[in-house]
Amino acid sequence: MNLEFFDSNVFIGRPMNGLFGAVSSADELLKEMEKQNIGKAIVWHIFQYEGSPVEGNHILAEQIARSNKLYGCWTILPPQTEEVISKGFFERMKANHIVAINAFPEWHRFILDSVGFGKFLGEVSERKIPLFLTMGRTCISWEALYRLMRDFPNLTCILCDIGIWGVDRWTWPLLEKFPHFYLESSLLSLEEGGVEATVRRFGSEKIVFGTGFPVRYPKAAILQLVHADISEKDKINIASKNLEKILQEEQL
Amino acid sequence: MSTLWKKFLKNGKVEECPVYDMHAHMGSYCRIYFPYGDFDPVITKNRLDRAGIKLLIFCSHASLFSPDIGNKSNIDVVRKLPDRLRAYCGLNPNYPEIIEKDVSEFEKYKDVFVGFKLLASYHRLPITHPNYAPAWQYADKHGLLVLLHTWGGDQFNGPEQIRIVAEKYPGAKILMGHSCHGEWDKAVQLMKDFPNVYAELCAVVDDRGGLEKFIEGYGSAKIVFGTDWPWFNHHYYIGAVLDSGISDQDAHNIFHLNAEKLLAPFIS
Repeated sequence: MNLEFFDSNVFIGRPMNGLFGAVSSADELLKEMEKQNIGKAIVWHIFQYEGSPVEGNHILAEQIARSNKLYGCWTILPPQTEEVISKGFFERMKANHIVAINAFPEWHRFILDSVGFGKFLGEVSERKIPLFLTMGRTCISWEALYRLMRDFPNLTCILCDIGIWGVDRWTWPLLEKFPHFYLESSLLSLEEGGVEATVRRFGSEKIVFGTGFPVRYPKAAILQLVHADISEKDKINIASKNLEKILQEEQL
Repeated sequence: MSTLWKKFLKNGKVEECPVYDMHAHMGSYCRIYFPYGDFDPVITKNRLDRAGIKLLIFCSHASLFSPDIGNKSNIDVVRKLPDRLRAYCGLNPNYPEIIEKDVSEFEKYKDVFVGFKLLASYHRLPITHPNYAPAWQYADKHGLLVLLHTWGGDQFNGPEQIRIVAEKYPGAKILMGHSCHGEWDKAVQLMKDFPNVYAELCAVVDDRGGLEKFIEGYGSAKIVFGTDWPWFNHHYYIGAVLDSGISDQDAHNIFHLNAEKLLAPFIS
Protein backbone atom coordinates (compact mmCIF):
# COMPACT_ATOMS: atom_id res chain seq x y z
CA MET A 1 0.00 0.00 0.00
CA ASN A 2 1.10 3.56 -0.59
CA LEU A 3 1.05 5.41 2.70
CA GLU A 4 1.28 9.18 2.94
CA PHE A 5 3.81 10.10 5.59
CA PHE A 6 3.73 13.15 7.86
CA ASP A 7 6.99 13.24 9.81
CA SER A 8 6.69 14.59 13.35
CA ASN A 9 10.34 14.26 14.35
CA VAL A 10 12.93 15.97 12.21
CA PHE A 11 15.33 18.88 12.63
CA ILE A 12 17.38 21.07 10.34
CA GLY A 13 20.70 22.74 11.05
CA ARG A 14 24.14 21.28 11.62
CA PRO A 15 24.93 20.39 15.26
CA MET A 16 28.01 22.02 16.76
CA ASN A 17 29.81 18.70 17.20
CA GLY A 18 28.96 17.40 13.75
CA LEU A 19 26.42 14.80 12.71
CA PHE A 20 26.50 12.43 9.76
CA GLY A 21 24.11 13.56 7.05
CA ALA A 22 22.73 16.61 8.84
CA VAL A 23 20.94 19.11 6.57
CA SER A 24 21.65 22.80 6.97
CA SER A 25 18.51 24.21 5.38
CA ALA A 26 14.84 23.62 4.73
CA ASP A 27 15.60 23.18 1.03
CA GLU A 28 17.98 20.32 1.75
CA LEU A 29 15.41 18.75 4.04
CA LEU A 30 12.75 18.97 1.35
CA LYS A 31 15.05 17.14 -1.07
CA GLU A 32 15.57 14.38 1.47
CA MET A 33 11.82 14.16 2.13
CA GLU A 34 11.15 13.85 -1.58
CA LYS A 35 13.72 11.05 -1.79
CA GLN A 36 12.02 9.27 1.09
CA ASN A 37 8.49 9.92 -0.20
CA ILE A 38 7.57 11.86 2.93
CA GLY A 39 4.97 14.52 2.14
CA LYS A 40 5.04 16.84 5.16
CA ALA A 41 6.97 17.40 8.35
CA ILE A 42 6.93 19.30 11.59
CA VAL A 43 10.45 20.65 11.90
CA TRP A 44 12.66 22.49 14.38
CA HIS A 45 16.18 23.89 14.17
CA ILE A 46 19.03 22.37 16.18
CA PHE A 47 20.17 25.88 17.20
CA GLN A 48 16.96 26.18 19.23
CA TYR A 49 18.46 23.48 21.46
CA GLU A 50 22.22 23.96 21.25
CA GLY A 51 22.46 27.72 20.97
CA SER A 52 19.54 30.01 21.59
CA PRO A 53 15.81 29.27 21.54
CA VAL A 54 15.24 32.97 20.81
CA GLU A 55 17.48 33.14 17.74
CA GLY A 56 16.83 29.53 16.74
CA ASN A 57 13.09 30.15 16.64
CA HIS A 58 13.70 33.12 14.31
CA ILE A 59 15.97 31.09 12.03
CA LEU A 60 13.41 28.31 11.84
CA ALA A 61 10.62 30.70 10.90
CA GLU A 62 12.73 32.16 8.10
CA GLN A 63 13.71 28.72 6.82
CA ILE A 64 10.20 27.31 6.56
CA ALA A 65 8.53 30.49 5.31
CA ARG A 66 8.54 29.48 1.65
CA SER A 67 7.37 25.89 2.06
CA ASN A 68 3.86 24.56 2.39
CA LYS A 69 5.21 21.14 3.32
CA LEU A 70 7.03 22.20 6.46
CA TYR A 71 5.40 23.23 9.72
CA GLY A 72 7.41 24.79 12.50
CA CYS A 73 7.97 23.91 16.13
CA TRP A 74 9.26 26.63 18.46
CA THR A 75 11.20 26.04 21.65
CA ILE A 76 9.80 27.57 24.82
CA LEU A 77 11.45 28.96 27.96
CA PRO A 78 9.78 30.06 31.22
CA PRO A 79 7.22 32.85 30.66
CA GLN A 80 8.68 34.84 33.55
CA THR A 81 11.83 35.83 31.60
CA GLU A 82 9.78 36.78 28.52
CA GLU A 83 12.59 35.54 26.24
CA VAL A 84 10.20 33.50 24.12
CA ILE A 85 6.79 33.59 25.75
CA SER A 86 5.41 37.10 25.96
CA LYS A 87 2.27 38.95 24.98
CA GLY A 88 1.12 37.94 21.50
CA PHE A 89 3.06 34.64 21.52
CA PHE A 90 0.27 32.55 20.03
CA GLU A 91 -0.43 35.16 17.38
CA ARG A 92 3.26 35.12 16.41
CA MET A 93 3.17 31.35 16.18
CA LYS A 94 0.28 31.50 13.77
CA ALA A 95 1.81 34.27 11.68
CA ASN A 96 5.05 32.29 11.30
CA HIS A 97 3.48 28.94 10.37
CA ILE A 98 4.44 27.48 13.76
CA VAL A 99 2.06 24.71 14.81
CA ALA A 100 3.80 23.18 17.82
CA ILE A 101 6.15 23.89 20.70
CA ASN A 102 8.93 21.88 22.24
CA ALA A 103 10.88 22.22 25.47
CA PHE A 104 14.21 20.99 26.83
CA PRO A 105 13.82 21.83 30.52
CA GLU A 106 16.84 19.96 31.88
CA TRP A 107 19.26 21.23 29.23
CA HIS A 108 17.89 24.78 29.29
CA ARG A 109 17.81 24.72 33.09
CA PHE A 110 14.24 25.22 34.22
CA ILE A 111 11.37 23.21 35.67
CA LEU A 112 8.46 22.44 33.36
CA ASP A 113 5.57 22.27 35.79
CA SER A 114 2.60 24.23 37.09
CA VAL A 115 4.75 26.53 39.24
CA GLY A 116 6.39 28.26 36.29
CA PHE A 117 4.06 27.32 33.46
CA GLY A 118 0.63 27.09 35.12
CA LYS A 119 -1.18 29.77 33.15
CA PHE A 120 0.74 29.20 29.92
CA LEU A 121 0.38 25.42 29.74
CA GLY A 122 -3.23 25.78 30.86
CA GLU A 123 -3.83 27.87 27.75
CA VAL A 124 -1.74 25.49 25.61
CA SER A 125 -3.95 22.64 26.85
CA GLU A 126 -7.12 24.55 26.05
CA ARG A 127 -5.86 25.51 22.60
CA LYS A 128 -4.70 21.92 22.05
CA ILE A 129 -1.29 23.05 20.89
CA PRO A 130 0.99 19.99 20.72
CA LEU A 131 3.99 20.04 23.04
CA PHE A 132 6.87 17.87 21.81
CA LEU A 133 9.23 16.38 24.38
CA THR A 134 12.07 13.97 23.84
CA MET A 135 13.60 11.31 26.04
CA GLY A 136 16.94 12.09 24.43
CA ARG A 137 19.07 15.25 24.57
CA THR A 138 19.00 15.60 28.37
CA CYS A 139 15.47 16.94 27.98
CA ILE A 140 13.34 15.56 30.80
CA SER A 141 13.27 12.65 33.22
CA TRP A 142 10.45 10.15 33.35
CA GLU A 143 9.61 11.38 36.87
CA ALA A 144 9.36 14.98 35.65
CA LEU A 145 7.26 13.90 32.67
CA TYR A 146 4.85 12.07 34.98
CA ARG A 147 4.61 15.20 37.19
CA LEU A 148 3.96 17.40 34.14
CA MET A 149 1.15 15.19 32.90
CA ARG A 150 -0.35 15.03 36.40
CA ASP A 151 -0.28 18.86 36.50
CA PHE A 152 -1.78 19.20 33.01
CA PRO A 153 -3.86 16.08 32.32
CA ASN A 154 -5.41 17.53 29.17
CA LEU A 155 -2.12 18.61 27.64
CA THR A 156 -1.51 17.46 24.06
CA CYS A 157 1.93 15.95 24.49
CA ILE A 158 3.90 14.01 21.87
CA LEU A 159 6.84 12.08 23.28
CA CYS A 160 9.69 11.62 20.79
CA ASP A 161 12.83 9.47 20.74
CA ILE A 162 11.29 7.32 23.45
CA GLY A 163 14.39 5.20 24.00
CA ILE A 164 16.56 2.59 22.31
CA TRP A 165 15.47 -0.09 24.75
CA GLY A 166 11.71 -0.62 24.85
CA VAL A 167 10.05 1.72 27.34
CA ASP A 168 6.52 0.28 27.56
CA ARG A 169 6.76 0.06 31.34
CA TRP A 170 7.10 3.85 31.41
CA THR A 171 4.84 4.88 28.53
CA TRP A 172 1.86 2.55 28.93
CA PRO A 173 0.71 4.12 32.24
CA LEU A 174 0.81 7.54 30.55
CA LEU A 175 -1.11 6.26 27.52
CA GLU A 176 -3.65 4.67 29.83
CA LYS A 177 -4.17 7.75 32.00
CA PHE A 178 -3.94 10.81 29.72
CA PRO A 179 -6.22 11.14 26.67
CA HIS A 180 -3.96 13.49 24.69
CA PHE A 181 -0.63 11.80 25.31
CA TYR A 182 0.97 10.36 22.15
CA LEU A 183 4.11 8.45 21.16
CA GLU A 184 6.26 9.39 18.19
CA SER A 185 7.01 6.21 16.27
CA SER A 186 10.69 6.20 15.27
CA LEU A 187 11.99 4.31 18.29
CA LEU A 188 8.72 2.53 19.01
CA SER A 189 9.26 0.99 15.56
CA LEU A 190 12.71 -0.13 16.65
CA GLU A 191 11.21 -2.23 19.45
CA GLU A 192 10.24 -5.67 18.17
CA GLY A 193 6.44 -5.76 18.36
CA GLY A 194 6.33 -2.29 19.96
CA VAL A 195 3.91 -0.75 17.49
CA GLU A 196 1.69 -3.83 17.36
CA ALA A 197 1.48 -4.20 21.14
CA THR A 198 0.72 -0.51 21.65
CA VAL A 199 -2.00 -0.55 18.98
CA ARG A 200 -3.59 -3.67 20.46
CA ARG A 201 -3.62 -2.13 23.92
CA PHE A 202 -4.42 1.53 23.28
CA GLY A 203 -5.43 1.86 19.60
CA SER A 204 -3.49 3.28 16.68
CA GLU A 205 -4.73 6.79 17.50
CA LYS A 206 -2.01 7.13 20.13
CA ILE A 207 0.96 6.92 17.77
CA VAL A 208 2.24 9.55 15.33
CA PHE A 209 4.81 8.80 12.66
CA GLY A 210 8.36 10.12 13.00
CA THR A 211 11.72 9.29 11.51
CA GLY A 212 14.20 10.95 13.85
CA PHE A 213 16.03 12.31 10.79
CA PRO A 214 18.86 13.25 10.48
CA VAL A 215 19.98 11.12 13.44
CA ARG A 216 18.18 7.99 12.25
CA TYR A 217 17.36 6.36 8.90
CA PRO A 218 13.87 7.27 7.60
CA LYS A 219 13.52 3.98 5.72
CA ALA A 220 13.82 2.09 9.02
CA ALA A 221 10.63 3.57 10.46
CA ILE A 222 8.91 3.44 7.06
CA LEU A 223 9.59 -0.25 6.40
CA GLN A 224 8.57 -1.26 9.91
CA LEU A 225 5.24 0.57 9.69
CA VAL A 226 4.41 -0.58 6.17
CA HIS A 227 4.82 -4.22 7.24
CA ALA A 228 3.58 -4.00 10.82
CA ASP A 229 1.07 -6.65 11.87
CA ILE A 230 -1.80 -4.13 12.21
CA SER A 231 -4.69 -3.13 9.95
CA GLU A 232 -4.36 -0.83 6.94
CA LYS A 233 -6.53 1.71 8.76
CA ASP A 234 -4.14 1.66 11.72
CA LYS A 235 -1.19 2.24 9.40
CA ILE A 236 -2.90 5.24 7.79
CA ASN A 237 -3.68 6.66 11.23
CA ILE A 238 -0.05 6.39 12.32
CA ALA A 239 1.54 7.49 9.05
CA SER A 240 -0.30 10.81 8.83
CA LYS A 241 -3.92 10.90 9.92
CA ASN A 242 -3.35 11.20 13.67
CA LEU A 243 -1.02 14.15 13.29
CA GLU A 244 -3.39 15.80 10.79
CA LYS A 245 -6.18 15.42 13.32
CA ILE A 246 -4.10 16.91 16.14
CA LEU A 247 -3.37 19.96 13.99
CA GLN A 248 -6.98 20.26 12.86
CA GLU A 249 -8.14 20.38 16.46
CA GLU A 250 -5.53 22.96 17.41
CA GLN A 251 -6.84 26.51 18.04
CA LEU A 252 -4.20 29.10 17.39
CA MET B 1 16.61 3.84 -5.42
CA SER B 2 17.90 0.30 -4.92
CA THR B 3 16.05 -2.62 -6.38
CA LEU B 4 16.17 -4.44 -3.09
CA TRP B 5 14.53 -1.52 -1.26
CA LYS B 6 11.63 -1.53 -3.70
CA LYS B 7 11.16 -5.26 -3.22
CA PHE B 8 11.37 -5.16 0.58
CA LEU B 9 8.99 -2.21 0.63
CA LYS B 10 6.48 -4.06 -1.49
CA ASN B 11 6.57 -7.49 0.11
CA GLY B 12 8.46 -7.17 3.36
CA LYS B 13 10.83 -9.91 2.24
CA VAL B 14 12.75 -10.85 -0.87
CA GLU B 15 13.11 -14.45 -1.94
CA GLU B 16 16.50 -14.01 -3.59
CA CYS B 17 17.77 -12.07 -0.58
CA PRO B 18 17.18 -14.17 2.53
CA VAL B 19 18.29 -12.60 5.79
CA TYR B 20 20.41 -14.26 8.45
CA ASP B 21 20.12 -12.69 11.89
CA MET B 22 23.48 -13.51 13.46
CA HIS B 23 22.83 -11.82 16.80
CA ALA B 24 19.62 -12.63 18.61
CA HIS B 25 18.33 -13.68 22.01
CA MET B 26 15.36 -15.60 23.36
CA GLY B 27 13.12 -15.38 26.41
CA SER B 28 12.23 -12.60 28.81
CA TYR B 29 14.61 -10.28 30.63
CA CYS B 30 14.01 -8.37 33.85
CA ARG B 31 14.90 -4.87 32.66
CA ILE B 32 12.55 -4.68 29.69
CA TYR B 33 9.15 -5.81 28.44
CA PHE B 34 9.28 -7.83 25.22
CA PRO B 35 6.01 -8.21 23.31
CA TYR B 36 7.54 -11.30 21.68
CA GLY B 37 9.81 -12.42 24.50
CA ASP B 38 8.24 -15.77 25.30
CA PHE B 39 9.24 -18.47 22.85
CA ASP B 40 6.42 -20.05 20.92
CA PRO B 41 7.48 -21.93 17.78
CA VAL B 42 4.45 -20.82 15.77
CA ILE B 43 4.65 -17.15 16.74
CA THR B 44 8.43 -17.03 16.36
CA LYS B 45 8.25 -18.62 12.91
CA ASN B 46 5.59 -16.12 11.91
CA ARG B 47 7.74 -13.19 13.01
CA LEU B 48 10.72 -14.56 11.09
CA ASP B 49 8.61 -15.23 7.99
CA ARG B 50 7.33 -11.65 7.85
CA ALA B 51 10.81 -10.26 7.20
CA GLY B 52 12.27 -13.22 5.34
CA ILE B 53 14.60 -14.25 8.14
CA LYS B 54 15.96 -17.58 6.98
CA LEU B 55 17.93 -18.38 10.09
CA LEU B 56 18.14 -16.75 13.51
CA ILE B 57 21.21 -17.44 15.63
CA PHE B 58 20.45 -16.65 19.24
CA CYS B 59 21.64 -17.06 22.79
CA SER B 60 18.89 -17.21 25.38
CA HIS B 61 18.84 -14.66 28.17
CA ALA B 62 18.50 -17.51 30.64
CA SER B 63 21.75 -19.10 29.51
CA LEU B 64 23.56 -15.79 30.01
CA PHE B 65 21.94 -14.67 33.23
CA SER B 66 21.19 -17.90 35.11
CA PRO B 67 23.92 -20.47 35.67
CA ASP B 68 21.21 -22.70 37.15
CA ILE B 69 19.33 -22.86 33.87
CA GLY B 70 22.29 -22.55 31.53
CA ASN B 71 22.36 -23.79 27.96
CA LYS B 72 19.43 -26.17 28.31
CA SER B 73 17.33 -23.12 27.41
CA ASN B 74 19.13 -22.88 24.06
CA ILE B 75 19.02 -26.58 23.28
CA ASP B 76 15.31 -26.95 23.99
CA VAL B 77 14.32 -23.96 21.85
CA VAL B 78 16.43 -24.83 18.79
CA ARG B 79 15.06 -28.36 18.75
CA LYS B 80 11.50 -27.01 18.64
CA LEU B 81 12.18 -24.97 15.48
CA PRO B 82 15.29 -26.57 13.96
CA ASP B 83 14.80 -25.29 10.40
CA ARG B 84 14.94 -21.66 11.48
CA LEU B 85 17.05 -21.51 14.62
CA ARG B 86 20.58 -22.16 15.80
CA ALA B 87 22.22 -21.02 19.02
CA TYR B 88 25.41 -19.80 20.54
CA CYS B 89 26.44 -21.67 23.66
CA GLY B 90 26.30 -18.99 26.36
CA LEU B 91 29.34 -18.69 28.61
CA ASN B 92 29.53 -17.13 32.07
CA PRO B 93 33.17 -16.81 33.23
CA ASN B 94 32.10 -16.55 36.85
CA TYR B 95 31.32 -20.27 36.66
CA PRO B 96 34.39 -21.78 34.97
CA GLU B 97 33.32 -25.31 35.88
CA ILE B 98 30.18 -24.83 33.77
CA ILE B 99 32.26 -23.55 30.87
CA GLU B 100 34.44 -26.65 31.06
CA LYS B 101 31.37 -28.88 31.09
CA ASP B 102 29.73 -27.02 28.18
CA VAL B 103 32.92 -27.22 26.12
CA SER B 104 33.36 -30.93 26.85
CA GLU B 105 29.77 -31.61 25.75
CA PHE B 106 29.77 -29.24 22.73
CA GLU B 107 30.12 -32.12 20.26
CA LYS B 108 26.83 -33.59 21.49
CA TYR B 109 24.92 -30.56 20.31
CA LYS B 110 26.10 -30.09 16.75
CA ASP B 111 22.47 -29.70 15.71
CA VAL B 112 22.10 -26.73 18.08
CA PHE B 113 25.28 -24.70 18.45
CA VAL B 114 27.45 -22.84 15.95
CA GLY B 115 29.79 -21.38 18.55
CA PHE B 116 29.92 -19.40 21.76
CA LYS B 117 28.46 -16.15 23.06
CA LEU B 118 30.36 -13.98 25.55
CA LEU B 119 28.75 -11.10 27.43
CA ALA B 120 31.76 -9.77 29.27
CA SER B 121 30.40 -6.30 30.12
CA TYR B 122 27.65 -7.92 32.11
CA HIS B 123 29.71 -10.75 33.62
CA ARG B 124 32.44 -8.27 34.59
CA LEU B 125 35.42 -10.32 33.46
CA PRO B 126 37.30 -9.35 30.28
CA ILE B 127 37.19 -11.64 27.26
CA THR B 128 40.94 -12.23 27.81
CA HIS B 129 40.35 -13.74 31.28
CA PRO B 130 41.73 -17.28 31.75
CA ASN B 131 38.30 -18.59 32.74
CA TYR B 132 37.23 -18.35 29.10
CA ALA B 133 40.33 -20.17 27.85
CA PRO B 134 38.83 -23.66 27.36
CA ALA B 135 36.15 -22.18 25.10
CA TRP B 136 38.55 -19.98 23.14
CA GLN B 137 40.89 -22.91 22.58
CA TYR B 138 38.02 -25.12 21.44
CA ALA B 139 36.70 -22.42 19.09
CA ASP B 140 40.20 -21.87 17.73
CA LYS B 141 40.71 -25.57 17.05
CA HIS B 142 37.29 -26.18 15.48
CA GLY B 143 36.75 -22.89 13.66
CA LEU B 144 33.68 -21.95 15.69
CA LEU B 145 31.94 -18.60 15.70
CA VAL B 146 32.36 -16.50 18.83
CA LEU B 147 29.83 -13.70 19.19
CA LEU B 148 31.08 -10.97 21.51
CA HIS B 149 29.19 -8.04 22.99
CA THR B 150 31.61 -5.25 22.08
CA TRP B 151 31.47 -1.55 22.90
CA GLY B 152 33.80 1.36 22.32
CA GLY B 153 35.94 2.18 25.32
CA ASP B 154 34.77 -0.84 27.27
CA GLN B 155 37.35 -2.44 29.57
CA PHE B 156 35.86 -5.92 29.29
CA ASN B 157 35.24 -6.21 25.55
CA GLY B 158 36.55 -3.10 23.87
CA PRO B 159 38.83 -2.91 20.82
CA GLU B 160 42.00 -3.58 22.84
CA GLN B 161 40.67 -6.83 24.30
CA ILE B 162 39.40 -7.96 20.89
CA ARG B 163 42.87 -7.40 19.43
CA ILE B 164 44.38 -9.76 22.03
CA VAL B 165 41.97 -12.67 21.47
CA ALA B 166 41.92 -12.24 17.69
CA GLU B 167 45.69 -12.64 17.59
CA LYS B 168 45.81 -15.48 20.10
CA TYR B 169 42.98 -17.55 18.57
CA PRO B 170 43.19 -17.06 14.79
CA GLY B 171 41.03 -20.09 14.09
CA ALA B 172 38.04 -18.66 15.96
CA LYS B 173 35.73 -16.53 13.85
CA ILE B 174 35.04 -13.50 16.01
CA LEU B 175 31.84 -11.57 15.44
CA MET B 176 32.05 -8.13 17.03
CA GLY B 177 28.50 -7.77 18.29
CA HIS B 178 27.65 -4.03 18.09
CA SER B 179 31.02 -3.51 16.33
CA CYS B 180 32.83 -1.63 19.14
CA HIS B 181 29.86 0.73 19.28
CA GLY B 182 30.92 4.33 18.77
CA GLU B 183 34.55 3.50 17.99
CA TRP B 184 33.79 2.70 14.38
CA ASP B 185 37.31 3.45 13.13
CA LYS B 186 38.76 0.91 15.56
CA ALA B 187 36.27 -1.69 14.37
CA VAL B 188 37.38 -1.08 10.79
CA GLN B 189 41.03 -1.39 11.81
CA LEU B 190 40.35 -4.71 13.56
CA MET B 191 38.70 -6.04 10.39
CA LYS B 192 41.74 -4.95 8.41
CA ASP B 193 44.27 -6.41 10.85
CA PHE B 194 42.64 -9.78 11.48
CA PRO B 195 41.07 -12.06 8.89
CA ASN B 196 39.04 -13.74 11.65
CA VAL B 197 37.27 -10.56 12.86
CA TYR B 198 33.85 -9.53 11.53
CA ALA B 199 31.53 -6.58 12.18
CA GLU B 200 27.95 -7.16 13.28
CA LEU B 201 25.30 -4.46 12.89
CA CYS B 202 23.08 -4.66 15.97
CA ALA B 203 22.88 -1.15 17.48
CA VAL B 204 25.20 0.15 14.75
CA VAL B 205 22.31 1.18 12.51
CA ASP B 206 20.26 2.76 15.29
CA ASP B 207 21.96 5.95 14.10
CA ARG B 208 23.23 6.95 10.67
CA GLY B 209 26.95 7.00 9.93
CA GLY B 210 28.50 3.85 11.39
CA LEU B 211 27.67 1.45 8.57
CA GLU B 212 28.75 4.06 6.04
CA LYS B 213 32.17 4.16 7.75
CA PHE B 214 32.48 0.38 7.58
CA ILE B 215 31.67 0.32 3.86
CA GLU B 216 34.06 3.15 3.15
CA GLY B 217 36.84 1.72 5.34
CA TYR B 218 36.67 -1.97 4.55
CA GLY B 219 33.76 -2.81 2.26
CA SER B 220 30.95 -5.24 2.94
CA ALA B 221 32.84 -8.54 2.84
CA LYS B 222 33.05 -8.92 6.63
CA ILE B 223 29.80 -7.39 7.83
CA VAL B 224 26.95 -9.54 9.11
CA PHE B 225 23.40 -8.58 10.01
CA GLY B 226 22.10 -8.82 13.58
CA THR B 227 19.32 -7.30 15.65
CA ASP B 228 19.36 -8.55 19.27
CA TRP B 229 15.88 -9.89 18.48
CA PRO B 230 13.44 -9.87 20.35
CA TRP B 231 14.84 -6.52 21.47
CA PHE B 232 14.71 -4.95 18.03
CA ASN B 233 12.59 -5.25 14.92
CA HIS B 234 13.81 -6.95 11.75
CA HIS B 235 12.11 -4.62 9.28
CA TYR B 236 13.45 -1.59 11.11
CA TYR B 237 17.02 -2.82 10.77
CA ILE B 238 16.58 -3.99 7.18
CA GLY B 239 15.21 -0.55 6.28
CA ALA B 240 18.14 1.12 8.03
CA VAL B 241 20.71 -0.95 6.13
CA LEU B 242 19.01 -0.20 2.83
CA ASP B 243 18.84 3.53 3.65
CA SER B 244 22.60 3.77 4.10
CA GLY B 245 23.18 4.19 0.37
CA ILE B 246 24.95 0.86 -0.10
CA SER B 247 24.76 -1.08 -3.34
CA ASP B 248 22.50 -4.09 -3.76
CA GLN B 249 25.60 -6.29 -3.87
CA ASP B 250 26.74 -4.93 -0.50
CA ALA B 251 23.27 -5.55 0.87
CA HIS B 252 23.35 -9.16 -0.36
CA ASN B 253 26.70 -9.59 1.37
CA ILE B 254 25.39 -8.20 4.63
CA PHE B 255 22.01 -9.90 4.66
CA HIS B 256 23.04 -13.41 3.64
CA LEU B 257 26.20 -14.10 1.60
CA ASN B 258 28.71 -13.42 4.39
CA ALA B 259 26.64 -15.37 6.91
CA GLU B 260 26.24 -18.30 4.53
CA LYS B 261 30.02 -18.57 4.26
CA LEU B 262 30.47 -18.40 8.02
CA LEU B 263 27.73 -20.93 8.71
CA ALA B 264 28.60 -23.39 5.94
CA PRO B 265 30.55 -25.74 8.24
CA PHE B 266 27.62 -25.96 10.66
CA ILE B 267 24.53 -26.04 8.48
CA SER B 268 24.00 -28.99 6.19
